[in-house]
Amino acid sequence: MNTQETLLWINEQFSHTNELVQKTLEYEQKNIAYMYIKSLIDNEMLQKTIIKPFFEMANMEQFKLYVQALPQFEEVPAKEQVLLEIMNGSILLEIGNELCLIDLKLSKNDEVSSASVEMTIHGSQIALSDNLLTNLNLIRSYYRQPTLNIEYMSLGEVNQQKVAIVYDTEKVNTQALKLIKEKLQRVDKQVISAANQFNNYLNDKRFSLFPQMIMTEPPDRIIYNIAGGKVVILQDGSSQCLAAPVVFFDFMNTMEDDYHTVIISTFLRLLRYLGFFISLLLPSIYVGVTSYAPEVFRTELALTVAGSRMGVPFSSFVEVLFMLFFMELLLEASIRLPKAVSATATTVGGLILGTAVTEASLASNIMVIIVSAVAISTFVIPVNEMAFAIRIVRLLLIVITSIFGLAGLTLGFLVFILYLTSLDSYGEPYLRVYNYKKNKERSEGHL
Amino acid sequence: MQKIQSKLKLLFIFSILFFLSGCEEFKDVDKDVFVSMIGIDLSEDKDKPYKVILKLFVPTSSFKQNPEANYTYLVEKGETLSEAIRMLETHIDKELDFGHMKLIVIGEELINNNKTKEILDFLLRRPDIQLISWITVGRPNAEEIVKMVPAGETAAYPSLYNYFDGNGTESPYIVTTFLFDFRRRMMDNGLDPILPIVQVSENKTTFTVNKSFVLKDKKTPFELDSLSTLVFNTLSMNVQMADIEVNEENELFVARLDKIKAKNKVKVQKDNQVSLEIDAKLVGYIAESENALNMRDLPKYSQLLEKEAKDKITKFMKLLQSEGIDPIGFGLKYKAQTIHHKRMSTEKWKEAYKNADVKVKVSASLKSTGSIQ
Amino acid sequence: MSRYFYYFVLINMVANIIASVPSILLRHYNEGSVSAMVLATITGTLIITVYAKFFIQFPGMTLPDLLKKTTAKWFYVPLILIMTVVWFIAGMITLITFTFLLIRYLTPEMPIILISLSIILSVILGCLIKTDRVLYTVEIIMLITFPLIIYIFFKASTDANINWNFIKEATLFINQMPNLESFTSSFYLFLGVGNLFIFNRFFNIKQKFGWKQIISIFFITILTLFTTYFIPIGFHGTSEIESLVYPWLQTSDSLRMKYSLIERVLFVFLLFYLCIAFLSILIHWHVAVEYLKYLFTFEKIKVKDVNIGILIPPAIFTVISTYFVQALNESQLFRFSSIFYMILAGFFPCMILVFFYIKRRMKYAENTK
Repeated sequence: MNTQETLLWINEQFSHTNELVQKTLEYEQKNIAYMYIKSLIDNEMLQKTIIKPFFEMANMEQFKLYVQALPQFEEVPAKEQVLLEIMNGSILLEIGNELCLIDLKLSKNDEVSSASVEMTIHGSQIALSDNLLTNLNLIRSYYRQPTLNIEYMSLGEVNQQKVAIVYDTEKVNTQALKLIKEKLQRVDKQVISAANQFNNYLNDKRFSLFPQMIMTEPPDRIIYNIAGGKVVILQDGSSQCLAAPVVFFDFMNTMEDDYHTVIISTFLRLLRYLGFFISLLLPSIYVGVTSYAPEVFRTELALTVAGSRMGVPFSSFVEVLFMLFFMELLLEASIRLPKAVSATATTVGGLILGTAVTEASLASNIMVIIVSAVAISTFVIPVNEMAFAIRIVRLLLIVITSIFGLAGLTLGFLVFILYLTSLDSYGEPYLRVYNYKKNKERSEGHL
Repeated sequence: MQKIQSKLKLLFIFSILFFLSGCEEFKDVDKDVFVSMIGIDLSEDKDKPYKVILKLFVPTSSFKQNPEANYTYLVEKGETLSEAIRMLETHIDKELDFGHMKLIVIGEELINNNKTKEILDFLLRRPDIQLISWITVGRPNAEEIVKMVPAGETAAYPSLYNYFDGNGTESPYIVTTFLFDFRRRMMDNGLDPILPIVQVSENKTTFTVNKSFVLKDKKTPFELDSLSTLVFNTLSMNVQMADIEVNEENELFVARLDKIKAKNKVKVQKDNQVSLEIDAKLVGYIAESENALNMRDLPKYSQLLEKEAKDKITKFMKLLQSEGIDPIGFGLKYKAQTIHHKRMSTEKWKEAYKNADVKVKVSASLKSTGSIQ
Repeated sequence: MSRYFYYFVLINMVANIIASVPSILLRHYNEGSVSAMVLATITGTLIITVYAKFFIQFPGMTLPDLLKKTTAKWFYVPLILIMTVVWFIAGMITLITFTFLLIRYLTPEMPIILISLSIILSVILGCLIKTDRVLYTVEIIMLITFPLIIYIFFKASTDANINWNFIKEATLFINQMPNLESFTSSFYLFLGVGNLFIFNRFFNIKQKFGWKQIISIFFITILTLFTTYFIPIGFHGTSEIESLVYPWLQTSDSLRMKYSLIERVLFVFLLFYLCIAFLSILIHWHVAVEYLKYLFTFEKIKVKDVNIGILIPPAIFTVISTYFVQALNESQLFRFSSIFYMILAGFFPCMILVFFYIKRRMKYAENTK
């Protein structure tokens, strides 16, 4: 296909828009033509790299060599590819009947933002930006290994998003990498707007409760994951990236665990697991004890519970569900609200509602304490997605406990663990006790 | 595999829905009423010999607003204990929950009438009655003890519990017998059951627990007075603290012992002649004295204490032997050190125990005369 | 040997502390239980050693694999079927015992079928997952529950109310001839090693089983038997100890945690032991289902493209065990388990003969290659 035909074809593609700019420059026997999309191009750069040299160069030959020497220079591939590149912010340049592409993309989103989801005290305070190249730059500059490999793909039939798969060729879990690539190839969605979506798109199961990939933003965690043999998926326009395969314990770790002294981080970990168990089990234990086995707790406590339930019109599990429901509403509401209002919402919801509910004896005092304890301990789980999953499991456990009592709660918890161990994350068992000292054992997947 | 799992989950959910319809056991805690203690008396009625008194906690919505203890009582007679309890259940709108019952009071008359076996059977057979509940004898009867609420009793924890739970008073005069301990003592022939006697004090405001009953086969129980109870507790190392009054050689002082160790030994000679050896170590200080004391004389005081303690223990042992009772468990000790086919028979042992010579060795050391000399 | 090996050996020991084993032992306290336990410890350690040594020669191979390779069809099909039944019953006995326990101590008003179904349904999911995942589950749950259970055992043996004279008295019955029933039931504690028949699939790296392992197994069993037998005696004496139906539960009810949120140890013990019982049933039934997979290809049975064949064995298990839960009473259960233990005490040593045969054939096969 010759140059003119390509140009015509591209022109045709953009015939519905007036964004496409076409210009021809002629000066002292030199002539070039170029086309680009106005809103994608950095005008200053265009002026500096193309237009100014064009007028300064002595002849066509020199200009051509100059263009070829530019770092943004790119040979012209197939015409579909050209179209894509133009939409990515390149300009198509015609020099003496030859075409070339020059990337002059204007990006306003390449500033590294500060961490907003994963708050830390000691860890890295910066997070990824929305720009893929900036992100890759960040990763590359923190992970200085020639083995770091980046593969690109563009996904999403309509919006053709650029996706990068980043991994360390030597350390990567090859089986998982293969699976992830296969699954990425199979994704056929119209629009892909954020990297987080892959958590669902790469999952074969329709209903799955626990995240199969971990979502993260601070670069220290990304580096840690790559070094640990994980595959990281980045997407243009998304300030979060995904790492896979994951195990359950990844969701209970924070990067800060490595930054504290051993005793402190052990204590913090202990605290976190305790919070995890409390948020999972406490409401169900309340239901089980008050409704099935009031003789379990010591006498003083049992009497306090029995006394505080006096006059409450609901049975205990309705009471628990009722209070938990309002707590969940409160949580959900405070995410959506603007920052200025959310504080008020929490005060109104938490303090006023809590007191009023006990005053009106719609719930017992102890129930209010339990619900707030549960709410607090849910926040202790470091990764948000896990906290969401736990909230759902908690509800299931309450239902089971109200049918089968404390024995049902124990069995329900065991089934929960059984379910977790039966899960896979890209070939890696989701929950098992690793011996981290024996890395070999881990990588081989068996003893 | 994954398809199967989702099918399985569906199956699971359906079965849960199925069970939900049959969920009738759900009973809230406010529909239960907790029994705090049970009293069992002998009634005047010949056909219905048992009289059961239950003390029930009355729940209050807040202990802060309502710190005073509040109980209801249920009393019923019956031919058997279960019958009485079944009748009691018709007296109250809520379900009786025995899971928190920590104290069993048996009337003195009932003990004297040898009904303990039947009572024990009832208490053990019910799985909801704690084996760690304390078992006591009520004097003059159980009803009076159960129904009495001493001044200053806090809600949710009857003050009678404090006598036995090792958290409140730790007086050396109190014998604590758990239900399971009572059972093993009843069953075994080398260790006799001992029960504390609970009385209402003279001014009717508190309880007095300082005597005990030793039960022995079909005979009427033998009562140990306060001093014997103290010696028993010392010898069986139930207590950490004890006071001993020493009155010898013109000295009159009270030794407070804070470390008590007692070892029992049974030695058997060839002709079935048994000697019981008691080796006690007492460590303490002087808590009270009539005369001024001298620090340098502490060894002398220790010797006086030794003598006094030896006297008391020997007297106590003589008492046990003459009555043929064995709450300390020399019989068990004997069984534990003699291989089974070489043991003498139970009757022979009893005879040998009565005639055994007792060797008491006490080593006391008083460490201080207190804050003053 | 890998740590996973100890798990199923240990689970079988610990799970039976609560079942009928201590009842049987205590019933014969003056008829040779102590000497039977000594004998069982020696033979039990021996059988564990033999089994482990046999299977480490064939890393990653299950017993049905080996049987299929070396023996004729008329031999291995009935054998595997028998083993399926044995493993199924082993799980079922634990199930029924625990159902009885729960109904007696925790939820007396609940219908018995509901309790047993709640246990069965939770176990069934585990029968179908992969073998390695079963082991991971076992490990996690043991990590959660074991510290507390060990604490209870420790607390029981150091409690002020345990009377060591009773224990000494009971130990002195050692000079009697071992009692068969006591021997077989204490021997049963060691048979957890039989799960290696299937779980050897997981050990696909050559393992070591030397003196260190034998000694540690030996000490674990001594500790287990001590807690099983002597601690209840220390709390309840020897006379009429047979009148206690569940000696260990009554022992745990004799413990008191003075300052804890839960004062009666019984409930903690019961709920944490439910986890152990769950693991025991899980392991046994998983092995049983795996045996069946060697005989039938369940994948072929399909309804509308959905593979329901794999659900058949658990369904059968459910039906049979719910029937027995209702049909048996406590004394029948004890007699039934006692007979079962006796049969196993014969069956497992006989398997060693099969091992010898397999080993010879495998060697022969190698040589001809």
